[in-house]
Amino acid sequence: MPYRGLDTRLPTRPLVDFIPDDSLHVDDEDAAFYAKDDDYLIHPHWKAMIQRISNRIPRRIKRYSFVYLGLLVLLFIGWKMHFGPKLSLHRQEIAEMEDTSKAAYGINVRPHFKDMVYIKSMDEKHLPKGNKRLIAVGDVHGCKEELEQLLKEVEFNEAHDHLILTGDIVAKGPDSAGVVSLAQKYGASCVRGNHEDKLLLSIAETSERKASLPGPTDNDPKNSDFLDEESHSHGADDYTLRKLAKQFSAEQITWLKELPVILKVERIPLMGEVLVVHAGLVADVPLDQQDPFQVMNMRTIDLKTRMPSEERKFTEWEKYWNHQQKKKAETERQTVIYGHDAKRGKNIKKFTKGLDSNCVRGGHLTALIIDSEGKTTVTQVKCTGYVE
Amino acid sequence: MLLPFTFAVFTLQYLTLALPSDFSKRHVDFSEFQGLTKNARDRTRQNDPAGKYFHEATFATHYDGRFASTKLAYTPRRTHLRSLVRTYLDTMHSLHIPTWLMHGSLIGWYWNGKILPWDDDIDVQISEPSMAFLAAYYNMTVYHFTVKIPPEAAGDELDEAGRDYLLEINPNWTNNSTLDLHNVIDARWIDMTTGLFIDITTLRYNQSSEDTAEGQKLFCKDKHTYMSKSVFPLRESEYEGKPVKVPYSYAELLEEEYGKKVMTRTRWEGHYFNEELREWVIDGLP
Repeated sequence: MPYRGLDTRLPTRPLVDFIPDDSLHVDDEDAAFYAKDDDYLIHPHWKAMIQRISNRIPRRIKRYSFVYLGLLVLLFIGWKMHFGPKLSLHRQEIAEMEDTSKAAYGINVRPHFKDMVYIKSMDEKHLPKGNKRLIAVGDVHGCKEELEQLLKEVEFNEAHDHLILTGDIVAKGPDSAGVVSLAQKYGASCVRGNHEDKLLLSIAETSERKASLPGPTDNDPKNSDFLDEESHSHGADDYTLRKLAKQFSAEQITWLKELPVILKVERIPLMGEVLVVHAGLVADVPLDQQDPFQVMNMRTIDLKTRMPSEERKFTEWEKYWNHQQKKKAETERQTVIYGHDAKRGKNIKKFTKGLDSNCVRGGHLTALIIDSEGKTTVTQVKCTGYVE
Repeated sequence: MLLPFTFAVFTLQYLTLALPSDFSKRHVDFSEFQGLTKNARDRTRQNDPAGKYFHEATFATHYDGRFASTKLAYTPRRTHLRSLVRTYLDTMHSLHIPTWLMHGSLIGWYWNGKILPWDDDIDVQISEPSMAFLAAYYNMTVYHFTVKIPPEAAGDELDEAGRDYLLEINPNWTNNSTLDLHNVIDARWIDMTTGLFIDITTLRYNQSSEDTAEGQKLFCKDKHTYMSKSVFPLRESEYEGKPVKVPYSYAELLEEEYGKKVMTRTRWEGHYFNEELREWVIDGLP
């Protein structure tokens, strides 16, 4: 039935048969079915080249590319998290060490203390000449046997060797008085460490207390409850200190009182002027302006203010010291021999020689031997360990 | 320049026996100092809270209104403060009472062993046994010193022949509680000519604290706390030319309280530290 002149009859054959040929037929088993259509974004020339190159890469390597990528990511994270900050910190430290405008520590008038020798020069006759040597030993802390053993080890000979101790020869260990006797016997040089300092202050405090006057009445306050030992005790630590004090003879205490905070050894080849202190010094601050408490206690230095600190949170003081010495003319250079920092242990650098290697806790006792040419060697003995 | 003190122990002992109670009058008020003060009338603040022992002056907080009626100018205040410290240290030294510096005074000592010129109070501490001793034997004692006051510092009526200083103990010093807010100062050393005074506080052991690696806990009634290892053993030094004690770890205490900058900054409060003079100088002066 025609409608408006069109044939509306249903076709007699399926519609598909009307398509001229089957060129549109796609077989999904054919590899071409899965091939990506070339969008011609890369020039066929280039494409061919990439193909050639990638063909040359062994399959095995191609297969591991994920692993390599993973390693690369790890490296990147590692850099970001660890090496990068470390490098920038190092750069910042260098920049801060170079910056001189901030030098502020040591402008004040150095605090003066009663009964404290600040600086002393070592007798010139002890300077290493010919076969003479200087033997510097780190914190002994009453370990007399170890000290004797070490001296035997280095073939110490009173006749031509001079012994230098870096302080803290007393307290903690078994025989503090014995170490002082030994030092006296050998005519050793020694500096005042924080333990000698505390001991001497405690002795002064006690003797002052004993000398205190009675009150205006007959009631003698020395015997009253005001000034008895108990009420004056500052805890267990103070008790240990007073017990230690009783081991020494009056003459030994006098010897300890004479120990300087800084010992100046004259110039020695290769080392420059040698200084012995217990803990450390701040570079470029005149010796006369260094705070004695800091010289006996410092571990680090805040580079922003050049203020030293007992804490470990800033830059190691010896880092700054070495950095500054390298810039100086050879005649201006100074080398510091010190102890105090058992945790960092033996720490030998060009211009700083750290000798505390934790003997009293079972570490080593360290000796630095300086010969007449300024050459240094280190000898150690193992220690028994007397405290936890 | 300061003669060894020739002190007159006043017979005011009966007053120290009076216990603080609601109806008792101030222990030693203005009327009791007739003949010892140049003040014609009392300049003590009258509306202080009940139970407060030491009263400041009406015109300023760092003066005693029983002995002064005006504040001092910059230069005379420095001179009198210096005499105040020197006489105090002299007296404590003679009495064998160890006394040490804290706070602002410790800063001044660190820089050049002197009072910071802009500081108008002096902070000293003593131990509990020392305070017990002073309270028992030396409360309300007056010390006479000959003090030479340079003419530029002296007022018309300031007498260079002799000055009296009063050691007054707060009877509430025995109260160990920091809740006793109105009596945080345990004693005062008072210049009876200018009304300037030194606040003396007792460093107390915290009885409830354990012995630690840092020693024992200590505190003052002004709520400052310390570890015994950083205060003791004390060091002997000098302050304004007189023997004084300072805490063992003075640098650490200063850093804890004020930060490192307190030991390195050379400009404070309109002054700068002149390295050549070794003095703090007012900005603008050479």
